[in-house]
Amino acid sequence: MSDRSLTQTEVSLNPLSSERVNITIDGISLSVPKGENVIEAALNAGIDIPYFCYHPRLSKGDAANCRMCLVEVASTAPDGSVRKMPKPQTACTLPAAEGMIIDTNTEKINKDRKGVLEFLLINHPLDCPVCDRGGECPLQNNTLYYGASASRFTEEKRHYPKAYPLSAQVVLDRERCIQCARCTRFTDDISGDAQLGLLKRGSDVEVGTFAHTSFNSKFSGNVIELCPVGALTSRTYRFKSRPWDLMTQKSICSKCSNGCNIKLDYRMDEVLRVNARLNEDVNEEWTCDRGKFGHDYISSPDRLKSPLMRKDGKFVEVSWHQAYSLLADKLRAAGTNCGAIAGGRTTNESVYLLQKLFREILGSNNLDCRLDSNPLPASDPLFKKSLQTGMGNKIADLEKMKTIMVIGSDLQDEQPILFLRVRKAWRFKGAKVVYVSDHLTTDSTAVSDFASVNLIYQPGSEITVLKDLENALARVLSANTADSEPPAQLNTQPSEATGLSNNDIHLAASLLAKGEITIIAGKSVSQHSQYVELYQSLTNLLASTNSEGNLNIPVHECNSLGTMDMGMLPGSGPGFTKCAGGMGTAEMLQASADGNLQVLWVMGADPVQNFHNNELAVRGIENCPFLVVSELTLTETAKRADLVLPAVSIAEQEGTFTSCEGRVQKLFKAFEPVGSSKPDWLIVAELSAILGAKNLYFTFNDVLQSISKEVPGYEKINPGTIGDQGIFRTVPAAG
Amino acid sequence: MIQNGINTLADSYITHPVAQPEDKMQFSEEAVAELEEIISHYPERKAACLPALWIAQREYGGHLTPAAIREVATRLGTSQTEVEGVATFYTMYNLRPRGRHHLEVCTCLTCAVMGAYDVVHALEHALDISIGETTADGEFTLSEAECLNYCGNATVVQVGDHYFPDISPSNCLNLVEELRKSEKYTPALLADSLVKIQTPGASLKGGGSFKAEEI
Ligand code: SF4
Ligand code: SF4
Ligand code: FES
Repeated sequence: MSDRSLTQTEVSLNPLSSERVNITIDGISLSVPKGENVIEAALNAGIDIPYFCYHPRLSKGDAANCRMCLVEVASTAPDGSVRKMPKPQTACTLPAAEGMIIDTNTEKINKDRKGVLEFLLINHPLDCPVCDRGGECPLQNNTLYYGASASRFTEEKRHYPKAYPLSAQVVLDRERCIQCARCTRFTDDISGDAQLGLLKRGSDVEVGTFAHTSFNSKFSGNVIELCPVGALTSRTYRFKSRPWDLMTQKSICSKCSNGCNIKLDYRMDEVLRVNARLNEDVNEEWTCDRGKFGHDYISSPDRLKSPLMRKDGKFVEVSWHQAYSLLADKLRAAGTNCGAIAGGRTTNESVYLLQKLFREILGSNNLDCRLDSNPLPASDPLFKKSLQTGMGNKIADLEKMKTIMVIGSDLQDEQPILFLRVRKAWRFKGAKVVYVSDHLTTDSTAVSDFASVNLIYQPGSEITVLKDLENALARVLSANTADSEPPAQLNTQPSEATGLSNNDIHLAASLLAKGEITIIAGKSVSQHSQYVELYQSLTNLLASTNSEGNLNIPVHECNSLGTMDMGMLPGSGPGFTKCAGGMGTAEMLQASADGNLQVLWVMGADPVQNFHNNELAVRGIENCPFLVVSELTLTETAKRADLVLPAVSIAEQEGTFTSCEGRVQKLFKAFEPVGSSKPDWLIVAELSAILGAKNLYFTFNDVLQSISKEVPGYEKINPGTIGDQGIFRTVPAAG
Repeated sequence: MIQNGINTLADSYITHPVAQPEDKMQFSEEAVAELEEIISHYPERKAACLPALWIAQREYGGHLTPAAIREVATRLGTSQTEVEGVATFYTMYNLRPRGRHHLEVCTCLTCAVMGAYDVVHALEHALDISIGETTADGEFTLSEAECLNYCGNATVVQVGDHYFPDISPSNCLNLVEELRKSEKYTPALLADSLVKIQTPGASLKGGGSFKAEEI
């Protein structure tokens, strides 16, 4: 941890200075931060400079590959004479300096642009009519605006086989590549798997992976969007559509709790591709591969199209009227002897109405949403204080942290986009990272790659490790020796119990002792049987560094937090309010296995596959006297149901999700539900009406308004305020 | 390589290296010492990429296998794709096996005027291969080279770390015969000299004789 002089790499990553300089672009006087790239200054001022390789989120200074952004530069000499630089400069690497005079639209520049494009097109196949990029292609656009109308190149172009499979998802067309190095810089700067590179040289340059290995990344889909031509294409979207034939709707990714903003590009009622939607505070402009390629379930042929009722052991399609009548009868007969399990993938509106139906109309408090092993009962104050509140920091604020500790999480897998944020903090903002885990992953990118200190301990010794860390931190803080070398008496011999030496622990503690820290804890902490001890240690670490509240334990499913907020917990009503206790998931499954629960309603969850105790789940689900499942497809649980209600995907409904940081975001409806399927909230609303509910809900807005009125913490959230970037719910005081 | 405790790579802002497993590393102890010495002249480890690749070319028997590239990446703490990018950029790194002797005939202007192509054709005929090919017995690879900066003695042929000046279609056959007698694997000698050339005073050897024992 010795202080090093800054290397070249770091200098270019330093934030812009606060000093401002005056420059002139096309006769317009601007005051911009000293050192800002001229291209950024120009684009910010609405002056167009064409470019391919420049990208605001990739490191600057090592690109300037495409030469498209050429500008003329002049400066004023002390005697007042204006002196022009003899050659045009690339605006994407030119730092603004006092008195610079830039011209972007001179005869010379226009000639240069024509020339650059002619060069770029020399080896370009121009197969626009069959190119996925055609219609949204920067190369087409720039050629249209700045290029020559014909080529003078009559020689043979270079040829490569089309459709080179970089990975299972990404297909490369080397003929179309203009060697801008955006994709390669993405894997270096952003995702960190560093798998793509420019190989060979001159006109032979091609994008490739090491020794033709597969491009194995959790973030590979992003390079498809980054590529300014059609060289990188998606295997699933290839040749499926032209961009102008696509409709687009705003949505929220349903694959993890990060709440990434996405765009669903669809045609008729089929989602053809998913692209990132800009939200600086959540996912910036990235998606992970699970989000980008994992939404094929929406248009899956297996989607349920009408309610299914079990008759003589077989499913038969029935009308909604028949389904509702049967379910209403069963629920009336069951009295309070019924329960519901809703998964973390259902919308706030659906669970809100579901718990209302059970609590207010049926009088049952048997409600739960947790399938993971949960170390604490939902009524425990610590559960409310830690696991139910969401993250202590906002996602966007993580990158401002100087020290980040990640514990018990394969973050790149559990929360891929959160991982990118932590990596950004390290890569571009100088944060130091401590990684604590019982294993190293084999994934192509991981926190351990860039953590300054890795503590990889013997599985099972986490409690001891954290205690040791606490003690070491206390020692470092009291001796105020955060910067000193480890005291000589520190043992470098790994301890038998933890596999870590005192020295390792001291290094980590010294790093944590430097100031405010933040902690991100993963699944293996939140599901740990001794969660209470771990929690205590983590809060102690935070307290001793004056970082109270910076504990982040992300929930797992896209709406796990919202489901809990809406009161889908035994003994915890909407907005953490106290209410009568009831059975949780395990108790309900047990009661159902014993034949003591008349009706069990499973909404958007698959306990048979996902409940932590599989044996109990199977017994509970199979022996349930009347099992009703609302689902998209026939899951393992749905196959065992007596009544299956076809629900809709994120593309076919309006709804809200609450992400792991507590941001409530809206799903917009893209197209009509398949078959006669219905949104979960509508199913519950209609059934409630049949069962005599006093409040009737006809639209999504009705439900959201009711949530806004009745759920503490959601007061500010209503159809008018939610917008397309979402707003935060507040954490109500635990009731 | 990521292990417990402090991770020195974290401070260099390089990206994830896919490490060569310890037991697959092939650099000899001397080679490692040599590499570390070279690295010590630069502010960043990865700046020593070119000499590291020469060492690898020598240590891996004359050409850069994927394992060699991966070992370089691991030792420099950088990504293997980046090292492959460097290795494929420069034409003097061998990405395929070469013959025991790599005959590089300069066909640039001066040598061409002085009959370099006659030499090439004579060699092609004698070895029964064309430019770019290797003989079936693995003894010779024949290539054209750009200016070798020995124009005063055109035509010049480079073999390993040796320059052979004043080659003609007739004496080139003697050269071939002498080389056959040599025991050495000359591409590795070239790699070795190019590593050593970093030391002041060293240069490629040149001279009039082509005696097997000198090669
Ligand atoms: S990359 Fe752009 S210019 Fe090239 S073929 Fe595709 S659409 Fe046409
Ligand atoms: S594949 Fe696309 S992003 Fe990558 S270098 Fe080529 S043009 Fe650029
Ligand atoms: S955008 Fe400046 S050189 Fe590519």
